[in-house]
Amino acid sequence: MCKCAAENPMLAYPATITKIIEETPDVKTFQMVFDDPQIQENFGNQPGQVTMISLLGHGEITISITSSPTRKGMLEFSIKKVGRVTEIVHQLEVGAKVGIRGPYGNNFPYESMKGKDLLIIGGGIGLAPVRSLIDFVLADENRADYGHVDILYGARSKADLCFKYDLFDTWPKKKDTSVYVTIDRPEEGWDGKVAFVPAYLEELNPSPANKIAVTCGPPIMIKFVLQTLAKLGWQDEQIITTLEGRMKCCIGKCGRCNVGDKFICLDGPVFNLAQIKQMPDEF
Amino acid sequence: MNKIIKKDQLAAVLDSIAAKYQLIAPVQDESTVLFKPGVAGKDVVLDAVNSTVSPKGAFFPQWETMYIYNTAEADFAIKYPEEGPDRVLFGIRPCDMMALLHIDPVFIGSKFGDYYYETKRNKTTIIGVSCAKVAHTCFCSTFGGSPTGNKGADIMFYDLGDKYAVEVITDKGKAVADLFSKFLVDDTGAPAEVEAKAKELASLLKPVDVTGVKEIMDGAFENPYWKELSRKCLNCGVCTFICPTCHCFDVVDEAYMCDGQRVRCWDTCMAKDFNLAAGGHNTRPTKLEKVRNRFMHKLKYHLDRYNLAGCVGCGRCSQKCPVNLDITQVISDVKAVK
Repeated sequence: MCKCAAENPMLAYPATITKIIEETPDVKTFQMVFDDPQIQENFGNQPGQVTMISLLGHGEITISITSSPTRKGMLEFSIKKVGRVTEIVHQLEVGAKVGIRGPYGNNFPYESMKGKDLLIIGGGIGLAPVRSLIDFVLADENRADYGHVDILYGARSKADLCFKYDLFDTWPKKKDTSVYVTIDRPEEGWDGKVAFVPAYLEELNPSPANKIAVTCGPPIMIKFVLQTLAKLGWQDEQIITTLEGRMKCCIGKCGRCNVGDKFICLDGPVFNLAQIKQMPDEF
Repeated sequence: MNKIIKKDQLAAVLDSIAAKYQLIAPVQDESTVLFKPGVAGKDVVLDAVNSTVSPKGAFFPQWETMYIYNTAEADFAIKYPEEGPDRVLFGIRPCDMMALLHIDPVFIGSKFGDYYYETKRNKTTIIGVSCAKVAHTCFCSTFGGSPTGNKGADIMFYDLGDKYAVEVITDKGKAVADLFSKFLVDDTGAPAEVEAKAKELASLLKPVDVTGVKEIMDGAFENPYWKELSRKCLNCGVCTFICPTCHCFDVVDEAYMCDGQRVRCWDTCMAKDFNLAAGGHNTRPTKLEKVRNRFMHKLKYHLDRYNLAGCVGCGRCSQKCPVNLDITQVISDVKAVK
């Protein structure tokens, strides 16, 4: 049998964890670097794509790449401790070896977004896949291609906010960028907004003119965000989301992540609302 | 097709193949007939209508080591299973050969191949054997098949009672046929006999008309029929297990201390946790979604995606379902519920 991942897509490339950021009590961001510099150089990930992260002895998990390809030399993955393998991932330390295969799936349509304003709506760990797009658009070399960027993000509590350094430091300093952060319930030490994301969205009342909205979060949040955007006059083609599903191969063979005749891993994970309305309600 | 082999010579023919190739063929295993590797000619059983479990396992095994590893070693000392010998798959029926052609595009995709399936496919020469009889559950003609069809075969054996008419179809097949050429006897009447046999068997197939079913399925996702249909399903999964076109698999690590292997094994969309993601989100949580997905996959999704039917009419699922959930019944029901 073949001896390398280039010939066998089910085999991961070895990589090393180089940095770990504790985002929330149950989310950590892992920076990983491929052991082979050439693979790092040629990995070719696009904003919105996913990978399979392999832990020998434990299994594989589908994780979106949260860093933008404009940041070279490493990949970042924000991982919530939620299942059997992610429990193990959270025990890993800097220097630990993992496997990464991918990148898989389509990407956010950053080409057709050019010249438009962007509205990013995230909830909880759902900001992770969209962060790759935010950092791509806000990168110096790309910033002029896009209009104003609004980022609306919510979490259950202050402690559950991911990417605080981006939300409160990096992104607000960028040109033509507004960041709106909210938490679900009032708490001591928080003088910011308290509201559910869809309610805050309605209050902000963003005009759909020449804009694209990108949303990701818990299914229930996405559901109400879509309703709210429709109410505010947004068209289906202007609204983009990214789906997830249980996956084993991530290359369209294991038959698990299908929604109708589409595989999330191959045809997604990024879909616009017009496409989603063509699919059976099974995601 | 002008050459024949006498049936009493078959064991010797197969042994001449087995001298050079690994022979995979159907054998009796207690009450079942299963395809097994490394069998002797005399043990090969061809009098069943078809094998109990489809021969897809010759390419997509029920359980397969993808690689072994040791987590204490540098780079985890990843090793692969032996590539295995060149093989001859003998005794596969026309419906199951068609099924292979219909799942090929799943594993041999344009963007991502499947090393394990593809390697086995390339190393295997297929000798199809036409049906000697048909069961009351057989309906291959619904999907363009025939009990004497040779699509997908490198060599075809046509069952003519006490002899087989032999047709060598590909170069790959010719290399194998050369091994048993001394058993071949001229018989100019064989083609006419094959034609007559084909007509006779085709007339015995269960007539199931699938015309228009896909178009009805396009708009039938929300139809209450699926709820009704799913009531009696036990989610046992036997339909998917024996099916020649079901290709879902699970990937699991089996490890003890530092030594382990990553394996893949057949999985079934009927299983409770098939779509259960960490965190509790389940995209197909109940029998309704599971049963609907199975029939949608067979009669619509596979067609949408690959322009190939997801069913070949082998009839195994109808035969083995413990609650008589019959795909031919679904096909006729769907036409009525539109």
